Amino acid sequence: MRILRKLGFNLFTWILVLLVAFPLVWMILTSLKPQTELFRIPPTWLPETVTFEHYWRLLTETPFLIYFRNSVVLATTTTVFVVVLGAIGAYSLVRFAYRGRETLATLVLFTYLLPSVVLIIPLYLMMVELGLSNTLASLVLAHTTFALPYALWLLRSFMEGVPEDLESAALVDGASRMGAFRDVILPQLLPGIISTALFTFILSWNEYLYALVLVNSDAVRPLTTGVMTMLISAFNIEWSLLMAASVMMSLPLIVVFAFLQSYLTRGFGAGAVKG
Amino acid sequence: MAEVVLKDIRKEFGTFVALERLNVAINAGEFVALLGPSGCGKSTTLRMLAGLDFPTAGEISIDGRVVNDVAPGKRDIAMVFQSYALYPHMTVAQNIAYPLKKRGVARPERDAAVAKTATLLQLEPLLNRKPRQLSGGQQQRVALGRALVREPKVFLLDEPLSNLDAKLRSYMRAELIELHRRIGKTMVYVTHDQLEAMTMADRIAVMHDGRLQQFDEPEIIYNQPANRFVAGFIGTPSMNQLEGAIAGSSFVINGEQVPINRALYEQALKDGPVVLGIRPENVSLSGGSLPATVRLVENAGHEQIVTVEIPGGHRLLAREASGQRPSVGQTCQIGFDADFIHLFQPGENGSRFETTGQAHVIPMQAQRSASDES
Ligand SMILES: Nc1ncnc2c1ncn2[C@@H]1O[C@H](COP(=O)(O)OP(=O)(O)OP(=O)(O)O)[C@@H](O)[C@H]1O
Ligand SMILES: [Mg+2]
Repeated sequence: MRILRKLGFNLFTWILVLLVAFPLVWMILTSLKPQTELFRIPPTWLPETVTFEHYWRLLTETPFLIYFRNSVVLATTTTVFVVVLGAIGAYSLVRFAYRGRETLATLVLFTYLLPSVVLIIPLYLMMVELGLSNTLASLVLAHTTFALPYALWLLRSFMEGVPEDLESAALVDGASRMGAFRDVILPQLLPGIISTALFTFILSWNEYLYALVLVNSDAVRPLTTGVMTMLISAFNIEWSLLMAASVMMSLPLIVVFAFLQSYLTRGFGAGAVKG
Repeated sequence: MAEVVLKDIRKEFGTFVALERLNVAINAGEFVALLGPSGCGKSTTLRMLAGLDFPTAGEISIDGRVVNDVAPGKRDIAMVFQSYALYPHMTVAQNIAYPLKKRGVARPERDAAVAKTATLLQLEPLLNRKPRQLSGGQQQRVALGRALVREPKVFLLDEPLSNLDAKLRSYMRAELIELHRRIGKTMVYVTHDQLEAMTMADRIAVMHDGRLQQFDEPEIIYNQPANRFVAGFIGTPSMNQLEGAIAGSSFVINGEQVPINRALYEQALKDGPVVLGIRPENVSLSGGSLPATVRLVENAGHEQIVTVEIPGGHRLLAREASGQRPSVGQTCQIGFDADFIHLFQPGENGSRFETTGQAHVIPMQAQRSASDES
């Protein structure tokens, strides 16, 4: 009986995994098939001939690398912004007593109650006012606005897990407030910072809507909108190129995930269990 | 000269008054215990001494210098926290070296100082471990080491032993006394454990509800408690307190008379309500004049604590050498050793009538105003 149940659970889990993984696997397989094999019926499961021609075309004949660079700059800058602001903000929310502290913390989440579509137009107009329209900076700011609130809450729950006595001890031991923050609080906060950074990076890397509205020249387009506009037109979708691009877009995330996965899961459980 | 002086300290948290009119002067090299029940403001006092909290009013000076506006790191103090507050990501050696590092001590001297402290506290085998790999007692020693390493003027300790089990606690208590004797530094030690305070301190500051009740040597605190609170707080089991009145030259409770010393009687209010205090060890179960019934006998091996009930339903504790065991329900005539009878003013926290000399001025004043309000 017990073995059957175990088997059942395992089967169920594997089916879920397959469901989730299949599109990814198919994406990789498709990107390796030559154009002629792509639409064959019945489809070939494994490519009969493996080719890297799509990757090569993508890298040499399209602005893919520019988009890639833009995405890296965009996601990294946003992440740095969000982590720095989030850590300082969370510190303030946890350590200092001032009027309206809780209200402020709640209000910050208000952003998420409004659909992005509602926020985009005002944001766009603001960027124009600031002279930032059609720049990466405008996207960094926009991504920061929607990643920061969540980051603030995530970091706040981590910060609450850092005993105040630790900071007091550092102060008594002769550290300045900044020194205590750097020497004692930051190391304790590291898991929180890593999961916040991951979260922000992924969000920014995959973001589409803001990128679509706020920038419209190839020089500053990130991967998401860049690849779309490049490969998908009303009449034709370049499937093999699209798949190759998708694989390469996913690559950084997969690498980062593989290394920091344990931190991420810990971050999502932060409110419940303090490690 | 007094090394640490708290002058007219007042501390408010919002509308809540945590400390009021706190005056304490601690001499150089003295071991002072801040003793009081939970929430009486001990930690707050210590944190203000450390500069982690700021008094609403009043003045704090250390070594003749007013330090109200001096940052914690510049006060020449070290603190041991109740939670130890060891830096989890640093090794024991790094923990101990941290205060030196922050003061710009060069690497070789730092290492030498850490080694010396480690020897003093027998921490050498643990130097490369992380705090979470240590037992409670070891963590406590590391916390002490981090405080000791830079040889500050004043040590502040906030219930450093409260997280240890009973055996380790009494061991560390002895270690701390020994340590204080050896280094001779001023120590302010917060505890709610009267045994710790009585055994370790040169002087004890007893606090209650944010007010200093009495600040004196342990024997005086024990033998001449300033008021009903101190009398009840110090000593286990605590002092019996009977509300009655003076009539003629005796204390009268429920029509029964208890003879008291003339000297004491003359100090007390003539013919009015008073509270009689008597410690359990000064209550005898026979040969007295107060009829009582034995209600409970607790045998602790070398002694027994006997609960008796006198007419009117008051219960008293008596401490007897074990041997003959009184039986529950038995009646007896209890008596009080007249030399150890205290009389207090009535009221929730009435002060004690002094038989000789002057009252302890500060605590008594603080006390009277407290009982006036109640
Ligand atoms: N930051 C604060 N905000 C509001 N009230 C506080 C704060 N810190 C302390 N208090 C209050 O001040 C009083 C004294 O607190 P304190 O921590 O000094 O008590 P304590 O004597 O150290 O008690 P314990 O033995 O439980 O540690 C308590 O009633 C407490 O609730
Ligand atoms: Mg305390």
